[in-house]
Amino acid sequence: MACMNEDGQWIVLMGLLVAVGLFFLALIINQSALVGQTTVEGVLEFPKNDIRDLREVIFDYVDKYGNTGGSAANNVRDDIIAISLDRKNAVVDFTVKDPVDISGQRAYPVEIHYNNGVTVYDETIYHY
Amino acid sequence: MVNDSGQLYTMEGIAAGLVMLLTAYLILSTTSIYTPGDTHIPDMQLEQLGSDVLAMMDTPDSDGGENHLVNLINRSDRDGFNSTFLKYCNARTNGDPDTIHMSASVAYRDGDRIEEHQLVKPDETWTGRESAVRVTRWVQLDQQSTRGDPYGSRAQAVLVEVLLWRA
Repeated sequence: MACMNEDGQWIVLMGLLVAVGLFFLALIINQSALVGQTTVEGVLEFPKNDIRDLREVIFDYVDKYGNTGGSAANNVRDDIIAISLDRKNAVVDFTVKDPVDISGQRAYPVEIHYNNGVTVYDETIYHY
Repeated sequence: MVNDSGQLYTMEGIAAGLVMLLTAYLILSTTSIYTPGDTHIPDMQLEQLGSDVLAMMDTPDSDGGENHLVNLINRSDRDGFNSTFLKYCNARTNGDPDTIHMSASVAYRDGDRIEEHQLVKPDETWTGRESAVRVTRWVQLDQQSTRGDPYGSRAQAVLVEVLLWRA
């Protein structure tokens, strides 16, 4: 095989390089499909509407009962905590403290705690 | 003696053939991308739509006005709830209305137990490619002695759960 013309080797080598390059491009495209899935699953998993709704129902509670307590208020409080646990798999707790004066407004400090095992949400808000 | 100077050309031909086959395979297999994430996007949109509809029903028409959702729950108005919810859900800017179906139940507390009262029974429709989603909304009921079963007359918070799907 001496003195043979071996120029064709380069063509083979370049072909291999192109193939390896295409392989990595295919890998990137495959990964991008997975990225879309995890993003949407993350959005679905995050209980945005649940937390908004819980805040709203607690604000309704504060509007109605303030921090006076009493059996009617405690019943509603127990409803919110028990139904959250049973139907939403979320541990919920909230406390309403004595009203404070904020810029001339009487505001109730409300502490809200929410934990559904994936998302934990804690908030202290002055509600008036 | 056989002349073997053509052997290298044969090798090159085989290598080039393999490269072309590999390239063709890669091109064909990567052009059709199946994204599992795509299937969740309609679920997300449907969930948001349902939440918004419940929020609309929970909002009085005027300041201090009657809350439609509370009223419907108080009266256990199956037909009213069904028609109002589907009217908001299926409304489109133009063209035929959407084909969303729903069933609804209300979770309430009775002593230590959480009970479920089925407000709207599901109709006998099947969902197609899209899965059904569940949306919920808290409703506070005032003390009302005329309110019938099963909730009882005390002031309470109940959870309205709606399962909706596109048929």
